[in-house]
Order: sequence, then structure tokens, then C-alpha cells
Amino acid sequence: MAGAIIENMSTKKLVIVGVILLLFQVFSFLVGGLIAPSPTTAVHYLATKCVDVRKHHQKSKWFMPWGPNQCEKIRDFDEATVKMIEANDIVFAVHIPLPNKEMSPWFQFMLVILQFDIAFKLVNQIEEGAVATIDVGLAYRDNTVSDWIEMAHSIEQRKLSCNFTTIKSPENEGRYYECDLLPFMEVGSVAHKYYLLNIRLPVNERKRVNVGIGEIKDIRLVGIHQNGGFTKVWFAMKTFLTPSILIIMVWYWRRITLMTRPPVLLEKVIFALGISMTFINIPVEWFSVGFNWTWMLLFGDIRQGIFYAMLLSFWIIFCGEHLMDQTERNRFAVYWKQVGPIVFGSFCLFIFDMCERGVQLKNPFYSIWASDVGTELAMAFIIVAGICACLYFLFLCFMVFQVFRNISGKRTSLPAMSKARRLHYEGLIFRFKFLMLVTLACAAMTVIFFIISQVNEGHWHWGDYTVQVNSAFFTGIYGMWNLYVFAIMFLYAPSHKRYGDEQSNGDLGVNSGEDIQLTTTITHVDGPTEIYKMTGKEAQE
Amino acid sequence: MCPRLPRTACLLRLTALCILLSQTAAYFGLTGREPLVFLPAPLSNESPSGKAHLKQCEQLTLTRRQKRLCRREPGLAETLRESVRLSLLECRYQFRNERWNCSLDGRGSLLKRGFKETAFLLAVSSAALTHALAKACSSGRMERCTCDDSPDLQHREAWQWGICGDNLKYSTKFLKNFLGQKRVSKDLRAQIDSHNINVGVRAVKSGLKTTCKCHGVSGSCAVRTCWKQLSPFHDTGRLLKFRYDSAVRMLSLTNAATGEAELAGSRRHSHSPRPTDFVYLEDSPSFCRPSRYSPGTAGRPCAKDTSCQNLCCGRGYNTALRHTTLSCHCQVRWCCHVECQTCLREEEVYTCKKH
Repeated sequence: MAGAIIENMSTKKLVIVGVILLLFQVFSFLVGGLIAPSPTTAVHYLATKCVDVRKHHQKSKWFMPWGPNQCEKIRDFDEATVKMIEANDIVFAVHIPLPNKEMSPWFQFMLVILQFDIAFKLVNQIEEGAVATIDVGLAYRDNTVSDWIEMAHSIEQRKLSCNFTTIKSPENEGRYYECDLLPFMEVGSVAHKYYLLNIRLPVNERKRVNVGIGEIKDIRLVGIHQNGGFTKVWFAMKTFLTPSILIIMVWYWRRITLMTRPPVLLEKVIFALGISMTFINIPVEWFSVGFNWTWMLLFGDIRQGIFYAMLLSFWIIFCGEHLMDQTERNRFAVYWKQVGPIVFGSFCLFIFDMCERGVQLKNPFYSIWASDVGTELAMAFIIVAGICACLYFLFLCFMVFQVFRNISGKRTSLPAMSKARRLHYEGLIFRFKFLMLVTLACAAMTVIFFIISQVNEGHWHWGDYTVQVNSAFFTGIYGMWNLYVFAIMFLYAPSHKRYGDEQSNGDLGVNSGEDIQLTTTITHVDGPTEIYKMTGKEAQE
Repeated sequence: MCPRLPRTACLLRLTALCILLSQTAAYFGLTGREPLVFLPAPLSNESPSGKAHLKQCEQLTLTRRQKRLCRREPGLAETLRESVRLSLLECRYQFRNERWNCSLDGRGSLLKRGFKETAFLLAVSSAALTHALAKACSSGRMERCTCDDSPDLQHREAWQWGICGDNLKYSTKFLKNFLGQKRVSKDLRAQIDSHNINVGVRAVKSGLKTTCKCHGVSGSCAVRTCWKQLSPFHDTGRLLKFRYDSAVRMLSLTNAATGEAELAGSRRHSHSPRPTDFVYLEDSPSFCRPSRYSPGTAGRPCAKDTSCQNLCCGRGYNTALRHTTLSCHCQVRWCCHVECQTCLREEEVYTCKKH
């Protein structure tokens, strides 16, 4: 790739482009920070203890915690003991959402976390490696009067990892264990208005089911869903960004096809980056508002994965193509060593995601972390992916180091070179340094904002305004990478300046004839312009 | 007298009958005029559209404003009763080894004074109400919980857009409204009471634990949701007991400039007390002998090496040998089923002497 727009642009124009992009960047942060609410909401649910009074446990019956036709309730299990109610007759009922509210497709997904309140009792302690067996059913309905329709039913096992922080003595009876959060349910679309969960903890002494799980006092659930307001802002952003990237992509590809030579590898990779960005951008999520597509969550993961893999590959290839060591590259196969870990790592994460979210399409209560084998498998996938990531970064760092070493090597020999050759190298150096700088800035921004959003409680008060830091993080970073791809496609597109320059600049023809194909990446050397010299000088400094 | 009821409930009803006192301030819980209206059916199974809650509201002794709130919110009456139960159990538990064992005889006289015990009663009541309200919200018993305080949007839109607050914010706000704390009286006693009530609310707030869950791509922390979780009420009770032990005595100072009484600490600092400290006006009575504040410690069981010395106020204790049956080698399920063998054990029981 020779003679990109960035080299032929005047500093003034470059600054103007930079400022415009920066304005868009600030705008994307503000959209998230000021308009959107926080990205997600967590709602607490305390399960109501219903009594299954019928002698035969028909599966069709659903227990409502409140409202009309509510179940027969007990306050605590002491009451149950007095009334001679057995454990198998107790149903924990949770209605999602709380009274006077309804769920909406704008919530995108629903994730439920389970927490047991287990009191310490000397005679009934939690055994080592205790496993709770949960018989759970999920039902939905779309108005307040119709019957509940079963959506899923499953018998799940969850390992209780609880510890008691004080001494296990009689005085401390009644204090609660501290238990880890248990993953409970994940639904990829919220197509219905009302959901009902009925949870049972059946006891079977002979099979040792639900024995030694301590004295359960309460079951608490935390339901997490995306906020409707955030979804709307997010969709609006995607809908706006899709055509912008699409237009620049078409423009970019037209530029390349206008040239006489076939596109080089780097140009193809940049185009592929544009395609993967568009793939993320296309707001197919609009359909989730109208259709019950539970696979949207998984699909979103896959799209993100493809983009990340593409971005990482782009960095490697960009470095490789700017190595300036006179070796034949320009083929994708040359980079298998560096791209291999990316592909393999992404593949591992894909498999892991399929094992978790893929299975959840069938059984929303499934969790790979619930079983020992699953946990080991999941950990294996993640560790392998982590090793791949480390390997990749080692390669990348090594390559960047090589580039810088070559740059400093070239710089000493630059004055001795012929003019066209020198300008070519100066152009390469400038292009590389510019991208390096921009990439580092973007990565640093991502990391900084990520850390801020992790340590912060989610929103800042700023006078009368409440700034939603987490939302600003999402929209800002998303906007930033879009602008990054946009800028790369715009600035690294082949320049057409040479058409005009050939007429104005006499010595160009000579130079281009002399130094054609300096390295394999070059198929055409652009002529020096005043601007070119200027930017070249900047690169040297 | 009341068969079929668990012993504690029976006891509570008896004590409730005994109590008749007049308290001018509109407090609730253990500090109300007649706080312990314990009805045998604590959980109503009637549909909320019915008028059942109106009847419950009438049964509770409330001020006119509290009654209005109670009528407006169907789940409130039940929650109020739950909070009284919670505060009483916790108060009893925390003071089981003290001379004042949170006995409700004499509670009326206590509330008229400014003792440390008064402070505890006020704080534990407000803490229990805050706790119970937040819990009632999350179990769906209350109808207008979190989305009510978003002014610009309608309830439903606020929920869908996602700007509803959390349960605890709602319950503290509701509590302020319910206790009519908006206008702070210039009266020193009222100031102290309102301070101690706030200590209770703060104790609940300080027990909040932030928990987070990561749910980004492949479960990464790119997307993380955090929420605040109530700690068990035992922990709140323990904190309040600790505050009780380190309470600050106040001197009534009259500010020369304004002529108003204001709070001032006596021992450690002359400036106003920290918002987390209990404050009191007078030193407590000993609670050793029967008085109008307590029935005294005579006949209280105690532990020989630890609590007898203090509890019996130096009067000594009686030792009795008693055969007790204990349940042992139990087979327990998580709920409602205990199969035990009975073991016989001989143990010494110590009770405080009367004279």
C-alpha cells in the first residue's frame, strides 16, 4: 500500500479531520452519559414460601406469590414445622417483575442469580461439598388473567460454597452463612410481560438429595436486565453508525478498484476490518423487539468475537507490512504464526460460549459452572484462550520492536538514499507511527474507562446532572472503535493525488520509474508533494 | 390461655395486653403507644383488592397521617407488624445477658425518659421498619416501591426506561414520611429521639453489601452489574448493641445567641455528636429491683462464671440441679423435619436471688 491519503494530506486538513473525529467521540460519550440511563438494572426478589396443599403434585399447577389467586403462604419454616408441612410441599414462588410493572422486549435479556439464606445451626450444618438440587419451572403469560404457560422446567444442581465467618458455637446459632452467588437462569430475549418461577427443593433421604444443605431460611433472587432506555440509545447509535461505516467502506473499495494494480494484503485486511465492524453495527437487534429470538445474546457474542479477532489480526499484519526488511510478504499465509493464536483463542472462546449460552437456548437454567467437569472444561477453554492472548501480545510486541529497530536503522541511512526511496521510507515510517499512536491512545482510553467504570459506583453527580459513567463507557468506547475503523479506512485509502501531481510535478515520472517496487508492498510510488515533504519531516522528528 | 400458639407468640400477646401507655410522639414499633398488636394470622391470604388491609390498619394504633398511608398501601399493615416482630426479637436477643432484658413491662416509663435504653428502642424500631419495608418491597408485598420517586416520568415509563431507585432508598424516604420527621422540633428530647431514629436507619444502611456479577461476552467483566444487599437483621442488631455500649451522654446547653437548646456531648467532645452515635440525656437506672422501668432481675437465669455476677446485682444466685431432656443425634432436613433421639442430661441452673 503506497501513497495513502494520510501522507498526502496537509497538516491543516489532518488536524481538521482529527478535530471532527474528536467531536464525534465526545458526542458519543455524552450520549451515553447524559441521555441513557445506567446499562442494566438489578432487581431484588425475595421468594414467597407457598404450600402445596394438594396431595398429588400435579405439574400443571403454578403458584403465585401475590395478586389474585395467590398461594397459601407461610412466613417461616417454624410455622411449617408447627403445621406439619413437609419440605417437599414447599414451593418458592417468584413473580418477575414486581407488582404494577411489566417486562418489555426492550430489556433484551434477563439474567437471574440465586442466593440462599442459610442459618447456622449446630445440629444442621452445611456438609462439606453440599449440593442443592433444585426443581425449577419457568412460566410466562402476557396478561394478568390468562393461564400460565410453561416455558422451561428442569432439575438443576448447584454447589453450595458457603463459609461461616465466626466460631461455630451455640451462641452464634441463627447467624447466616456467607454464600457465593449461584448462577440460576439466563434468557436471551424478554418477549413476555410476566414470568413466574416456581422452585422446589425436594428431599430424598435414600438418594441423599438435598440432605446436609443447612437450615434454609430464604431464597433470594436478583434479576438483571438491560434498561429499556439504554437499549433505545444503543439501537439509535447502531442505526446511525451502520450507514457511516458502510459509506466509507464503499468509498474505500471504489478507490482501490480504481487503481490499476490489484489490492495488496493490507488493503484487503483494512476492508475486512470494515466488514466486521459493519457486521457488529448492523442493528439486527431491532428484530428482537418484535420477535422472540433468544439466540440474539449468543449472536451478539459471536459478532463481537469476530471483530476482536479481526482487529488483532489487523494490528499484526499492519506491523508486518511496515517491517521494511525487504522480505516478501503480502500474503496472508506468511502470518499464520501470529494469526494462528488469535484464531485458536477465539475458537476456544466460541466453544466455551456455545457450551454456556448455546445450551441455555434449550435450557435457560443450565450453567457450565454448576458441575465439576463443566467448570474444569470451562477453565481449560479460558486458560487456553488466555495463553493464546499472551502469545499474541508477545508476537505483537516483538514485531513492533522490530519495526522500531528497522526504523532507527533506516533513519541513519535515509540521507544517503535517492529522493523517491527516501520519501517512500519516510511515508512508511509516518504511517506506522501515526497508527501506532492512535491505536495506543484508543487502547489506553478503553483501559482507563474500563477501570473507571469498574471502580466507580456507576454514576457521578455533577451539579444538577447525573452522569451515567457505565453507559458513557459503553457508548463512548463503542463510538471510539467505530471512529477508529472509520479513520483508518479514510486515512489509509490510496491517495489519488498522483493524478494531479503528475502534471504539476515534473520529476515525479523519473522517480517513479527508477524506484518502482522498492519493496513488495509498493506497486506504485507516489510523487513527492510539498505536503508529503512536510509530513515526512514530522515523521523524522 | 392461648393454646395452639407457639410460646413466644402467646407471651407477646400477654405482654401486649399489659401495656398501656401514652406517648405523644408519632413513633412506631417498640416505641409506639400500643406496639404489639400481634394477631395470630400474620400472613394474609386475601386478595389485595379486598378491604382486608383496611381492617388491619384500623387494628394498629397509628396517627391519622400514618393511617392514611396505611390505607393507601395494601401491604403496609402487614409490613408494620412484621417490623414490630423483628425489632422485638432482636431487642430480646441482644439484651439477653443484660440487666434490662428488653422486657416490655415498664416500656412506657422508659420511653418518657432519655436513657440509653430509650435510644436503643427508638433505633431498633426504625431499623426494623427500614429492613422490613425493603424486604416487603422485594417480595412483592408492597405495590408502590421503587419507581414512585422518579418525578418526571410515569411509574411504568420510569420502569421501562430504567431509572427506578433501589428498595432501601425508598424505604428510608418512606420512613421519614411515616414518622413525620420532616420538621425537626426545637425541643431537646425530640431532637435526641430523631437523632437516635436516624442512627437506626444508618445502621441498616451501613450494613449494605455491594455485590457484583459479570455478564459480558463469554461471562467477562466487560459488562458488570452491581447491587446493594441488606445484611441479616442480626448484624444490624449487633451493630446497634455496640452503639448502645458506646453511647454518648448529652448535656442540655442553651445557646446564648439563639436561645435554643442544642445538643452537646459531655465527655469526649463539646461539639454535636457523630451521626452514628447513640445519644442519651440521663443515666439509666440499675434495673436490679422491680421499678416502673423494669421488673428487676430477680429470678433471671444466668451463666455462673460470666453473667451471674453482673446480672444478679451482687445479691447472689440460687443453684438448682435439673434433669433436662436434650435432643441429640438429630436427623434434620432443610425444612420442617427433625428426627432426634432424646438424651437426658443433668445440669445446674442458676437464677438470681430475690433479696
